[in-house]
Amino acid sequence: MSEFAVIGKRIPKIDAKAKVTGRAQYAADLYFPGMLYGKIVRCMKYAHAKVTKLDLSEAARMPGVVKVLGPKDVTQKGYNTGVLDIMVPEAAGKLLGDIEDQVLFTDHVKHQGDAIAGIIARTEEQAERAAEKIAVEYEPLPVYLTAEESMQPDAVQFTPLKPGNFAFQLPAEMFPNNSYGWGDAEAEMKNADLVIENSFYTPKCKQCQMEPHAYVGYYDDQGRINCWTSTQMPKCVHAKIARLFELPMSRVKINQTTVGGGFGGRLGMIGEPEACAMAMAVPGRHVKVEYLREEDWIASESRHPGNYRMKMGFKNDGTPVSCQANWTANRGAYYTHASGTNFTMGAWLVGMYKFGALSYKAKAYYTNVAPCGAFRAYGNPQTNVAMEQTIDDMCAKLGLDPVEWRIKWAKGIGDDTWILGFKYPSAALVQCLQQGAEAIGWKEKRAKYANQTGTKRRGIGVSVMNHTSGAFPMLLEHTTCTVKLNEDATAEVITSCSDLGTGAHTSLKQIAAETLGFGLDEIHMLVGDSDAAGFDIGAHASRTLYVGGGAVKAACEDVKKQLFERAAIQLEANVDDLDMKDKKIFVKGSPDKSIDVKTITSLGVYNFIDPATGKTVGTPGQIQGYASHFPPHHSPPLAACFMEVEVDIETGAVETLESIMAYDIGRAIHPPSCEGQNEGAVQQGIGHALMEEIYYDKNGLCLNSNFTDYKMPGPCDMPKFKNILVEEPDPFGPYGAKSAGEGALANPPGAVLNAIRNAIGVMSLDVPATPEKILKAIKEKGIK
Amino acid sequence: MKTRSITINVNGVAHSLNVAVNRTLLQVLRDDLKMPETKYGCGTGECGACTVILDGKKSILSCLTLAATMDGANITTVAGLEKDGKLNPVQEAFVSEHAIQCGYCTPGMVMKSVTILAKNPKPTEEEIRRELEGNICRCTGYVKIVEAIQKASEVMAST
Repeated sequence: MSEFAVIGKRIPKIDAKAKVTGRAQYAADLYFPGMLYGKIVRCMKYAHAKVTKLDLSEAARMPGVVKVLGPKDVTQKGYNTGVLDIMVPEAAGKLLGDIEDQVLFTDHVKHQGDAIAGIIARTEEQAERAAEKIAVEYEPLPVYLTAEESMQPDAVQFTPLKPGNFAFQLPAEMFPNNSYGWGDAEAEMKNADLVIENSFYTPKCKQCQMEPHAYVGYYDDQGRINCWTSTQMPKCVHAKIARLFELPMSRVKINQTTVGGGFGGRLGMIGEPEACAMAMAVPGRHVKVEYLREEDWIASESRHPGNYRMKMGFKNDGTPVSCQANWTANRGAYYTHASGTNFTMGAWLVGMYKFGALSYKAKAYYTNVAPCGAFRAYGNPQTNVAMEQTIDDMCAKLGLDPVEWRIKWAKGIGDDTWILGFKYPSAALVQCLQQGAEAIGWKEKRAKYANQTGTKRRGIGVSVMNHTSGAFPMLLEHTTCTVKLNEDATAEVITSCSDLGTGAHTSLKQIAAETLGFGLDEIHMLVGDSDAAGFDIGAHASRTLYVGGGAVKAACEDVKKQLFERAAIQLEANVDDLDMKDKKIFVKGSPDKSIDVKTITSLGVYNFIDPATGKTVGTPGQIQGYASHFPPHHSPPLAACFMEVEVDIETGAVETLESIMAYDIGRAIHPPSCEGQNEGAVQQGIGHALMEEIYYDKNGLCLNSNFTDYKMPGPCDMPKFKNILVEEPDPFGPYGAKSAGEGALANPPGAVLNAIRNAIGVMSLDVPATPEKILKAIKEKGIK
Repeated sequence: MKTRSITINVNGVAHSLNVAVNRTLLQVLRDDLKMPETKYGCGTGECGACTVILDGKKSILSCLTLAATMDGANITTVAGLEKDGKLNPVQEAFVSEHAIQCGYCTPGMVMKSVTILAKNPKPTEEEIRRELEGNICRCTGYVKIVEAIQKASEVMAST
């Protein structure tokens, strides 16, 4: 029998019925009377060019066109679609080099798909037809696709603010010697018996959330800009749109619609600036902007690609002596997340193993491809590819068992997390490794797969990860929640927390019900309304359940405190002597001395003077609980992923056969949501390891901006899958919960690649490990 | 643009329309009839989010179907599956098995699943997976979607 009433229950998700009937409304599903359609005109021919002529006059005369907008018709204030600049103190932001290098409708095209103009017409088709009539001339500029190219001294500068096209490195003022880690890694490396050094390439991948970006903008009669968007971060967009258009926040409203997947793809702003600019050009008319899939692909952010130089030193017994890592990112056309991802990549390295010394350095250079930003697990998969393959290489060379080594050397309770100085408050990685190994038959299969011959060879691999529950203290972590009690003792929970399909709103409702002691149907979640709800940083860093849940719990506790205080007066008892059950507050030990919660809430609202006595009964005032919650920690979840593969040495094809994700969840508030996060993450992780990469031709034009040419794991590509949720409650998380969400995408890549290594003895230095690359490696190694 | 007069029946309601010959069924459903339950995911027939059912049995991709060719057709969208306020067993199973995350692929996925089970009431897991190849889900790893279809198959067999 569970100690909880609703926590841990497999209740239907609160949005499931709306979604399964098609009634859930995504931004593109909205229609308003007289609504117009906006089309963002993009440069499709060049990845780097100057616009030398832009003549919109013929487009303006096309049927149905209401307005055409070039750079001169909209604000030319710089902005940054990322949000890191509002998540750190100004001084830190300056050190980290955050800049506003984007502008609406640019005359310097820096990647294919950069926006140069906007058209507003009565129908979408009319807007598209008019876009074809824009007269534009370009002066092509040299195209830089890698850091090595754009760092050349004679390269065209992306922005005067970043000389040498050098977007980011860890600032020496915050990170001595531009390095994150501990000890003297270079000196320590000399004490190693075995040093392994390799350079790994990890690819540019697309989030591929199923709902393409879409918006409706509306400039209303009170001079407010209203924007309907499936952003992951409504309150950050609220602040950033206000800043861009120089409006007070009271004149900006963000309506968060149902979010058709995020995975980081909607972190910060995407098309909101263009949609709002267009709406402001036609006051009183709604303007809908829908991205085509191809536009979504080439114009919105993706995962950072780059080269990861990984050097690790060990003693002959496997003791990890030193780690020196150097990451060089091809950052894309704009600054956006340059500081964030390129830092966290090292943070995940810092949080994992007990090396004697560790140094991580990163450099990021502008390139003429779509900007890189947030993609689920924010740098963690890249690190996993380099870190976990190197660990397995060491284990193979020293004859050690990869599971045993990780049990011995992974960080745990009391060790520093990814933020040095913060200690793991909970950690169940050892259980994850043990239970996962047992479930997949690790020992038997490792023995069985040694020395295989034949065309098809099997392998089994493991990889571990550490992630986070919120970004504190690296970034601001803050969620507010208001809980309003109706007079009939039901509750409205008001927050700006996002649910990208993760089940976050369902889980938050469970926390509210559990804390209040109310039934689930007595609680409603009011979300997505920036007017109604206070601040929430948004869905990133796997924070919603941990930080948002903390806020909901605290606000509900505030409600409960008020209820108990009023009950104490009514019952003439001490607050400390009271307890609550079945929505009745009673004196402990005297259950007859009680009052219904409903009596208190009703008297709070309908509070009259009794004509007979001239006095009121009960305490007046509608009860509202409130919390402005700043979490004290980031309680990292850990996980072990096991993967079994079969490699065809004649074709190089890799099939994933079986996978296990053993995850240190703390507490599973809504278990099916936790499972679902792992299931989807493993799918994306397999894609990262084996299939997914955005390719460009030498001119920087995207070659695979569609689902046929960018292959993701489909239903037949998925292995047999098993979830193991290890529940060791965390002291800081709400009811002991840590995050699900991103982390489980971090380690499937390492597990797949280590399984390939186990099958054929080849490490994958160039990811994704496509059949061509595997076959090449097989031939080079002379495997027969 | 040339137009053609057509009558299409969507979820039991007949609509007489004059459609431009380049309009897709998806555009007509979403923009002209204001029925947004059928989703645009790619517009090129790769993702299956726009799947609807033609004449009660065949799943088609509405983004690749010209509306002008649909004269006299009976189209069922996901909004047409409920009967007397009760969800279709496939819809029920998607809810009960937690097969929905962001929900954007769900309408197409449900419509595809209805036709899978109509054709083959007791599909094996492998058959389900093969049939789903044209419907992309980026959230679930297909794990709970496959389980939901299996569950719907069981429920439908027992009723």
